[in-house]
Amino acid sequence: MSTQIKLRHCAKTFADGTRALAPFDLTIEGGETIVLLGPSGCGKTTILRMIAGLEFPDAGGMITFDGDDVTRQSIEKRRVGMVFQSYALFPNMTVAENVAYGLKVNGVSAAERQTRVAAMLEMMHIDMLADRRIDQLSGGQRQRVALARAIAVQPRVLLLDEPLTALDAKLRVRLRTEINALLRKLGITAVYVTHDQEEALALGDRIVVMQKGEIAQIGTPREIYRSPKNPFVADFVGAANRLAGDMRDGRLHIGSQVFEAVDGWNQYNDMIDKTGPVELFFRADGLSVCEREDAHFTGRIEAVAYLGDKQRLTVSGIGPQAMMIDTHADDLTAVGSDVHCRFNIERLAIFPAHDADSGAI
Amino acid sequence: MQRDAKFYAQLLLTIVLCLFIVVPVVMSALAGVTVNVFKGLSSGLTLRWIFQVWDLYAHSILLSVMIALACLVVTLVAGVPLAYVLVRRPGRLTRIFEELLTLPVAIPGLALALALLITYGGVSGYRSSWLFILTGHVLFTLPFMVRSVAAVMAAMDIKMLEEGAASLGAGFWRRFFTVIIPNAKPGILAGALMVVTLSIGEFNLTWMLHTPLTKTLPVGLADAYASMRLEVGSAYTLIFFVLIMPLLIAMQALAQRGKRPRKRTDTAEDTL
Amino acid sequence: MSSLHQIKGGRSRPSLPSFMVGQARPGVGSPAILALLLTPGLIIVAAFFLIPMALVAMRVANGPDGFATYFIILTNGRYFASLMQTLVMSAGVTVTALVLCGICGLFLVRNRFAGRNVITALLTLPLSFPGTVVGFMVIMLAGRQGVIGSVTDALFGDKLVFAYNIAGLFIGYLYFSIPRVILAVMASAEKLDPQLEEAARSLGAPTWRVIKDVILPGLMPGLISSGAICFATAMGAFGTAFTLATDIDVLPMVIYTEFTRNANVAVAAALSIALGLLTWAVLTAVRCFAGNTATSGTGGGA
Repeated sequence: MSTQIKLRHCAKTFADGTRALAPFDLTIEGGETIVLLGPSGCGKTTILRMIAGLEFPDAGGMITFDGDDVTRQSIEKRRVGMVFQSYALFPNMTVAENVAYGLKVNGVSAAERQTRVAAMLEMMHIDMLADRRIDQLSGGQRQRVALARAIAVQPRVLLLDEPLTALDAKLRVRLRTEINALLRKLGITAVYVTHDQEEALALGDRIVVMQKGEIAQIGTPREIYRSPKNPFVADFVGAANRLAGDMRDGRLHIGSQVFEAVDGWNQYNDMIDKTGPVELFFRADGLSVCEREDAHFTGRIEAVAYLGDKQRLTVSGIGPQAMMIDTHADDLTAVGSDVHCRFNIERLAIFPAHDADSGAI
Repeated sequence: MQRDAKFYAQLLLTIVLCLFIVVPVVMSALAGVTVNVFKGLSSGLTLRWIFQVWDLYAHSILLSVMIALACLVVTLVAGVPLAYVLVRRPGRLTRIFEELLTLPVAIPGLALALALLITYGGVSGYRSSWLFILTGHVLFTLPFMVRSVAAVMAAMDIKMLEEGAASLGAGFWRRFFTVIIPNAKPGILAGALMVVTLSIGEFNLTWMLHTPLTKTLPVGLADAYASMRLEVGSAYTLIFFVLIMPLLIAMQALAQRGKRPRKRTDTAEDTL
Repeated sequence: MSSLHQIKGGRSRPSLPSFMVGQARPGVGSPAILALLLTPGLIIVAAFFLIPMALVAMRVANGPDGFATYFIILTNGRYFASLMQTLVMSAGVTVTALVLCGICGLFLVRNRFAGRNVITALLTLPLSFPGTVVGFMVIMLAGRQGVIGSVTDALFGDKLVFAYNIAGLFIGYLYFSIPRVILAVMASAEKLDPQLEEAARSLGAPTWRVIKDVILPGLMPGLISSGAICFATAMGAFGTAFTLATDIDVLPMVIYTEFTRNANVAVAAALSIALGLLTWAVLTAVRCFAGNTATSGTGGGA
């Protein structure tokens, strides 16, 4: 069945002495899709390449597939399927030859090869492209071929390195849905690297957020989204608005406003019991437009972006920086007018102020 | 990165190949300043041979430099516009012409020289002047200039640049000299270095085309190898090396510079 | 002219290049300007290449044996043997250079070590050596006063000298070819996508398969173009042979002898044409073959 992957005390220092990864442990359950999320240079690709066998961990690290030690095994022995950002399709072979390549290398007979390739191409909806050359394919088609080629060998693990980055936005969403369905259907253990939080939330059973060679947080999409563990994660998963405040007597003070502590705040921080300056992170849905009498804050609309299903307002006058606030598409908004809004208090992420200064980008 | 037996085997082969190239160069350079090669370096060092070569062949060496520069001028005037048309107007006719143009590289210089001799051998004033040799050199080097310039022009999206300039009101000649030429400069420079080096070293054609009064550097070399003592031949070779080395170094530096900016944009993309 | 007409005209392009059709387009100079740009090149090629080559062909036809001269060079044992010898040696030099430089070029691109740049620079040193100098280098290496001779003399008491025959010529052309092929291999190797190799390995391909299926196809264009130059040079150059010995029976030397010593212009011309055609044919064949493999895959897959 699906392979469980364990990484123990894995660290990576490159030849020139730079530390790519601090020692970490990670267990990926059989059949699970795990997404490594982070900005470029955070070490996510290095983890993927370690699992693939393209990089080896520093001495002391260990990688096991279902308990088998594969730490020093090279990639060609590991039976991993890999999908690359640039697709890495062989330009000197047709689509069918690309998909057949792994089978051929592994000594599968020509007859069986043919049936399996045909089935693979059909599953990926590219059977009509079988005899095409690679340079005749569109980006989306190439990505399907790359997936088919990786899956055809029935690998123990499927590794995807930013597979959708090179595609345009619309196609990205469509292929994301297809990859999701495919991974569920195959039940294969998959590791998916991306810097796109939306992709991570949509695909991952669990998400590993990486920051500067360290794991910042591991959790389900919901946990990562709702309860970021530190300012970096909050910022990276899209909490663009920030406000400064104070914690006193278990209450949150922002300017003249005082809020009672709420469940769901700071699952990971014990800020509630502490006293001192704090920094608040929240998304565009953390504030909502309301009537004057219900308002916590009043600001001025600087700009309006019409997004179809909603409008995104840029509002000044609440904190030192402008805020992003979403409102109904039909609400009347005018640049320059005042807007009243209230906190959706359970949507805040709250961290000690010095943390926020040093951690977030 | 592990360094195994395979690494060292390849390194060894590379070093052997490198020695194969370098040892004779060093030996001939040394022989050129040795008093007596048969006795070896212990016989002492001298510049005597170099001076002797200069006395005998200074005219050939200067003639070669002159022909190389003249060849450069002609290939620039003919080659750069040619490259532009080939890149800008791809079509069947231009492709045939391009093929035709590169033929002098594939066809042996000897055959080319023979053809020139048969055709123009009777035109006495022309046959006996250095212009006759220049003709052969231009024929041989023109494809290199065209290809070098065309490669750069093809890579720089010349159409967009030109349309940009045209939208700002620049007429054709203005665009040609202020937009196209400056942007094709790396290709022109590389082509120019190539043309000069090739012309200075050209022998196949020149040997057939030269007269006793129009001996070029390589012709003189062949002469020295055949009829002079080893030290003189070596000294002459040394002079040739000294002449050609700056050109080679410039070419390599140019190739290096061409590589770097591309890398820079790569990393810029990466951080986006 | 209606706009529909224009669209049609723009879409189905006439086989004549558009500058000859005479319709100026934005961003491009007028037909007259383009013609002007072409003129110097056209004159050079026509006056000093096309007409002379045609005259050579005619000279053969007007020689004592007319067109039969071509027949003579094919049936005359000496000419034919020389032709074959030249062909075999040139092919041998090309293949040897490709194999040696393929390995070393790839090695130099893949590995970073002290002295790497120096080695690369040294290997490309003879790039602009004329044939005569290359010949002299061979004499320095394998001639009577050469390194190899001195070394074998010291080791075995026997001077190994092989500069003054076809073996020396082979060494000379190898010397000439190495810088060119090394540069071409390194340029192609730098463009190889490392992810392609990783992909092949992830599918279980052992090293030899990666080389055969990924690296060689990637290097092919560079190998072919540089190999073609090596081959053409080995076929047609005579500076090296001239420096080594005048009795090496390669075709360029035979042509030279026929022309200068025997004043047999018709035969020399016929041999030149044969040499030119043969070189051109081999180059074109290789290019077509390479073009095919590049466009239709290596075949024999699923």
